[in-house]
Amino acid sequence: MKKLQYILLAGVLLASCSKSSLELTNPNQITSETYWRNEDDVKSALAATYALFKNVDGGFWGVRGIELSNGRGDDFFIRNDVSYLYQLSTFTNTPDNSASTNVWNIAYRAIFRANQIMANIDKVSGLSDAAKSAYMAEAKFLRGLNEYILVINFGDVPLRTTIPASTAEYFVPKSPATEVWAQVIKDFTEAAAGLPLSYDASNTGRATKGAALGFLGKSYVYTKDWANAEATLKQLTAAPYTYQLMTNYGDNFVAAHDNNVESLFEIQLADVGGTNPWAGENANESLGVTTAQEFAPAEASGWFEVAPTDKLFNEFQNEKTTSGDFDPRMYATLFWNYPGATFYQKPFSAYTLPFGFKSYYKKYQNYTQANELTGSSGASDYQSDINEKALRYADVLLLLAESVTMQGRPQDAYTYVTAIRNRAGLPALTAGLDQTAMMKEIRHQRFLEFAREGQRFYDLQRWGLLKEEITNSDKVGKLYFVTPKHDFFPIPQDEVNSNPQMKQNSNW
Amino acid sequence: MTNSQLRLTRRKTPILLLLLLFPFLAVAQKKITGQVTDAETNNPVFKAAVMIKGTQKGTYTDEKGRYSIDAPAGSTLLITSMEYEQSELPVGDNATINVTLKPKVSGLNEVVVIGYGTVKKKDLTGAIASLKGADLKTEGVSNIGRSLQGKLPGVTVESAGGDPGAGVRILIRGVGTLNNANPLYLVDGVQVANINNIAPGDIESMDVLKDASAAAIYGSRAANGVVLVTTRNGKAGKPVFNFRTNLGAQKLAKKYEVLNAQEWATVSNAAHDAGNGGAGLPRLDIAANPAALGAGTDWQDAIYRTAPIQQYYLSVSGGSDYSRYSVSGEYTDQRGIVDMTGYKRYGVRAKTESTKGIIKFGQTFLATREKWNQMSTGWGGQGGNAVGSAMKMIPVYKIYDSSAIGGYSGASGSVVNIPNPVALLHLEDVSYELTSFLANAYAEVALRPYLKYRFNLGYTTSFGTTDDYTRRHEVGNLFIQPTNDMSRVQERNQLVLLENTLNFNKDYGKHSIQALVGYSYQKTRYNYNRMAKTNLPDGIKELDAASGTATVGGNSIESVLLSTLGRVIYAYDNRYLLTASFRRDGSSRFASSNRYGNFPSVAVGWNINNEHFWNVDPKTISSLKLRASYGILGNQEIGDYQYSAAIASNINYVIGDAQQKWFGAIQTAYSSPNIKWENTATTNVGVDISFLKGALNASFDYFYKKTTDVLLNVPIPGSAGSSTSPVVNAGTIQNKGFELGMNYTNHIGVLNYNVYGTLSAVRNKVIELGTGTQQIFGGQPTHHGASSTLTEAGGEVTGFYLIKAEGIFQSQDEINAYKDKNGNLIQPYARPGDIRFLDANGDGIISSADRVHMGSPFPKFEYGIGFNLSAYHFDLNVYMQGVSGNKIYNGVRQDMEGMNLEYNYAKTTLQAWTPEHHTNMPRAVIDDPNLNSQTSSRFLESGSYFRMKTLQLGYTLPESVNATLHTNSLRAYISADNLFTVTKYSGFNPDLGRTGTILDRGVDYGHVAYPLARVLSAGIQLSF
Repeated sequence: MKKLQYILLAGVLLASCSKSSLELTNPNQITSETYWRNEDDVKSALAATYALFKNVDGGFWGVRGIELSNGRGDDFFIRNDVSYLYQLSTFTNTPDNSASTNVWNIAYRAIFRANQIMANIDKVSGLSDAAKSAYMAEAKFLRGLNEYILVINFGDVPLRTTIPASTAEYFVPKSPATEVWAQVIKDFTEAAAGLPLSYDASNTGRATKGAALGFLGKSYVYTKDWANAEATLKQLTAAPYTYQLMTNYGDNFVAAHDNNVESLFEIQLADVGGTNPWAGENANESLGVTTAQEFAPAEASGWFEVAPTDKLFNEFQNEKTTSGDFDPRMYATLFWNYPGATFYQKPFSAYTLPFGFKSYYKKYQNYTQANELTGSSGASDYQSDINEKALRYADVLLLLAESVTMQGRPQDAYTYVTAIRNRAGLPALTAGLDQTAMMKEIRHQRFLEFAREGQRFYDLQRWGLLKEEITNSDKVGKLYFVTPKHDFFPIPQDEVNSNPQMKQNSNW
Repeated sequence: MTNSQLRLTRRKTPILLLLLLFPFLAVAQKKITGQVTDAETNNPVFKAAVMIKGTQKGTYTDEKGRYSIDAPAGSTLLITSMEYEQSELPVGDNATINVTLKPKVSGLNEVVVIGYGTVKKKDLTGAIASLKGADLKTEGVSNIGRSLQGKLPGVTVESAGGDPGAGVRILIRGVGTLNNANPLYLVDGVQVANINNIAPGDIESMDVLKDASAAAIYGSRAANGVVLVTTRNGKAGKPVFNFRTNLGAQKLAKKYEVLNAQEWATVSNAAHDAGNGGAGLPRLDIAANPAALGAGTDWQDAIYRTAPIQQYYLSVSGGSDYSRYSVSGEYTDQRGIVDMTGYKRYGVRAKTESTKGIIKFGQTFLATREKWNQMSTGWGGQGGNAVGSAMKMIPVYKIYDSSAIGGYSGASGSVVNIPNPVALLHLEDVSYELTSFLANAYAEVALRPYLKYRFNLGYTTSFGTTDDYTRRHEVGNLFIQPTNDMSRVQERNQLVLLENTLNFNKDYGKHSIQALVGYSYQKTRYNYNRMAKTNLPDGIKELDAASGTATVGGNSIESVLLSTLGRVIYAYDNRYLLTASFRRDGSSRFASSNRYGNFPSVAVGWNINNEHFWNVDPKTISSLKLRASYGILGNQEIGDYQYSAAIASNINYVIGDAQQKWFGAIQTAYSSPNIKWENTATTNVGVDISFLKGALNASFDYFYKKTTDVLLNVPIPGSAGSSTSPVVNAGTIQNKGFELGMNYTNHIGVLNYNVYGTLSAVRNKVIELGTGTQQIFGGQPTHHGASSTLTEAGGEVTGFYLIKAEGIFQSQDEINAYKDKNGNLIQPYARPGDIRFLDANGDGIISSADRVHMGSPFPKFEYGIGFNLSAYHFDLNVYMQGVSGNKIYNGVRQDMEGMNLEYNYAKTTLQAWTPEHHTNMPRAVIDDPNLNSQTSSRFLESGSYFRMKTLQLGYTLPESVNATLHTNSLRAYISADNLFTVTKYSGFNPDLGRTGTILDRGVDYGHVAYPLARVLSAGIQLSF
């Protein structure tokens, strides 16, 4: 009997497991203590930061971002399907609007990631000083561009240039827009100093010195620092930079001409990776965008979420080309009823126009395919490979034209405006335009040149013409537009709710 | 007169005095003395009644069990006591009659299962609600959890959906956490995820540990209460077979009234005409000619059906003095009221226990295979699943289109993406198959008669496979899929449990001590694998045949819990009771500095009726016990590895001229290195009282539960850049409440009846949360709708905070008169017929800042009432249950009465306001500039209901027939579940059946619903 008891006692001891069995490591992920070892880790961190630009929910160049940046323009209609998009396009949006909330959140996520790169770069072994400063510059570009997205959409926003060291630092108050712009300009300036002019073929798509200068110049335009804008943008028109306009305007918006000579920075999109556009940040996520499918007509298996207004349709017809044809940009931007019009391999007669507007958007659509169901991987995942051009040389030229005009030198704008007009096959611009007339021409050209490229609303905002142009349009919801309330989105309600330091924009 | 006679109640005293005069008148009186003792322990039985049968004459035993009575020769002594079977003895020649009484196995001697042991009800100090298997026998339902609804005070059981095989959500004493509020479930001592796969016939008892004293032995996992399920075992004797079957039909209890085609077109046209500030927006083509449309398709009729349910159960049990066994098998086949859905379950169970000498060995083995045929959750767009889509699908569209790929018609044109619900059900097959095993074995050695060592080894594993196959289709022009695609998710859960316990149980005179020490190790592991491929040939459902893109993924999670535990239950003289327990848990979920948590508890009880001074007649109050307890419990229901800053990988981008995948990885969320246990301290006081010789029993508990360091995903500002909110210890929540359970059994002639009821009420309050001003919004009611609930310090958990709707503007004058302090219109876009909202903060605009508290999703009280009647072999069982005082946010109605989106609307929109016809339903306007359809109190409704849950009529064959048939018993019954519900709630079911987070409580989210069925069934219960 005694013996049995000893055996049992031994069993008890054996079955008792040591405290070390409580020390478990996550079998799925490594931790930040073991990350940041080598250059590959830095590159992966960059990829994870760039990736947010295309994020399906709130990336500024993802589908909701494109709908948000264009949706309020007088050239754009969003149908009453996804209510928060309809509301923002008709100025009935509220601070809990999902689209503006997500754009806010995604931009700050990108800033958090860019800040991590800056904070951890010193831990990485085997990096040359040159490589290190280039990575720092790239991270600053990414932070700067996200701050830019925030300030043009929300105005006064919190500034985050470091990683929170404690939970108390999660809560940061708004900085005035002027301070945010100062940080944007600082980041782009420092980025331009450290970034390379170009990359090898395997790294195409990462931010270059030209991209940083372009956005720096554009930031000066937004802050009406015309002299600096001119000085910055002007650099891009000369060596070592080789940017030029594509001969054929429409080539900018098809996948075959991704990363072309006109492009300073574009969002890299391809149907690689997984097959689910809505998978979230994991291996199943497809790496294109669903924007083309959402914008395509029902007859091309699209969801026809948006339509160009007739104001845009008419604006294109103000001027014919020297050969008496429509502006080639109209052909590249819109699909409407003209002889020989073909869209998704079908004639105009195959389509209905469900909202009473006269055209569909053609820009950034894969209109030579039969429909938008299948991506280039072959999966039926609605993916479009067409890179979203975040900054084109045409923008640089027109911003330059604006910078000189606003400094009282409209005569100096001719060379830039003419480059744009020539590509469009338009006749020579009347000589001797004064500042007002030249600005009018620049505004007209920007309207046509950048339709569906997320510029119109922001241009009108900085020109102070929102009320006038929206009123003078066939935009649905124009009667609900109130300035300055709708000039900027409200601070997202979630942010106000969770951040005791945050105050709502006083117009909301 | 003896002392004990003096202690009889005053009311009876005159009669007794009269009786005591009788000896002088009567003949042959004899003085009998003796002692009454317990047949098992030989201890004296105090206060047993000794009566002369057929008379009112009697006395009680004293502390030593002794009595003395004058009895006539030839009479019979009747000895009764609450806790014992009664005994009769003839008065013969002996002047001394000693009596031994056998303890009753019910009532106060009833054994209640507590953690790591059992205790008699009379020795219980904690708040425990118990249900015996016998109480479940009348249920016609397929799920064990559901039969608990309303039967246990303080235990809230809500359906987790009306779909076949859906489980229940059990909340014990309210919501003390903002995390997983599920209780800990143990089947024969082994932790399981839920008890949905246990056959009701296999249940011996269910004991719910509610207060800290009862549950503290389970320490860190017990803060939400513990549900202990003990499965049946055999009894010594010949084998007993039990066979049960139940066959029934289920039908939709309530249909949602929507517009037919012609009505819809009329409302839609009116809404478009009113749009664009009255200038009108183009009408929809399909609504062009309402009169020509007729009724159109009734999409709800198209998906609902009357569905059969069948259940079979067979068990055999028996044993000898040394071994006992019970083996059972069951089969359930429940088809759903929504076409194509269903649930099947096969289960086997074996339980044995053998004793030889000092060694006892026992085991439980349980294996089930369950299969659910589920609804697709939807194809994007805003229809949700088939139930949601059937409400919203425009009745103008047709069901079938033989020319379309897949064979179904669907929505087309400028309408919201709602899929054809019939196509949704038939073109996507979603099945979930779960195979679960539970094995538990123990060896117990009686080292001394009073000292037992037990080694317990538990193991559970489950394999789940979810297959999702979508046929290629073209359903209208909004839902097109060119290939057949399939995904398969395989999940595996494992749990290993090792327990060593030493149990000491001894009485020293009046002192009774039951002590326990133990050591436990528990490890869980979860694996997940997903594989998917596109482009399968028609009719083939295996991945090898697919020619398209493949995606795979997988991960795993582990956690370990190491614990030491101890408990002492001490009783003095059956009067004073003390229970003290302690558990120390170490969890892998926390960083090493915060890894251990200590969970002590103490409870005291006082059996007042065993006191010497107690002189109340047992016929009036037969027992009275006071209880009080205090203890601390833990909660670690957060994800694993939260304390380390993980690098998330596969956040990919595209790079290079070749546009290839660029692998991305970075820290996406903040870690929580300092998190520690969530602690819940509970104070409980209770009274157990029996009246009328135990015919009426009542139990009352009051508790105060305070949870500190609530583990919470505190929403941090989006500007912090984290993709998820970190878990932190960020709050204090209190719950206060009471529970009352009553049970009365009696008979009137041949009619035996039993009435029982429960009543409970809980109030919660958030004392602190997060940063102090932290607010957690939740309860999203519709696809895109704003949140409806708010949790913040000073308020309750998930109170409804809504913009207040104040009726309809009847005229432009009313709109013009609604001005802020600066004279500006508060609702400038309103037109007559729009809703007036309260500008609660007075800032001149209506915004989410105007939300005000509008009610609670938690009932003020919950109750259940049941009757069991039997006479002449017939029995009638009625069970009713309800809740009162809660609110429900009707998200379905928000969608269906919005009239702002291009889909079908509720029937009530026919009453929309027009200048000629003023109603309470706002005007139809498709662009809704006044935001009539925004989240507001317009859609908040009373959630009180009273439901006839079970009505059952049974017939049991007379004993005499059993002999002929060689059966032990045979009962046949017919039963109706959910026969009717009395409620003002306008949705499908006020018992919402939403399985979301606790923050979604009380929000009816139409997207994912599965409505409740009314069930009529008949069954047989046979024992032979």
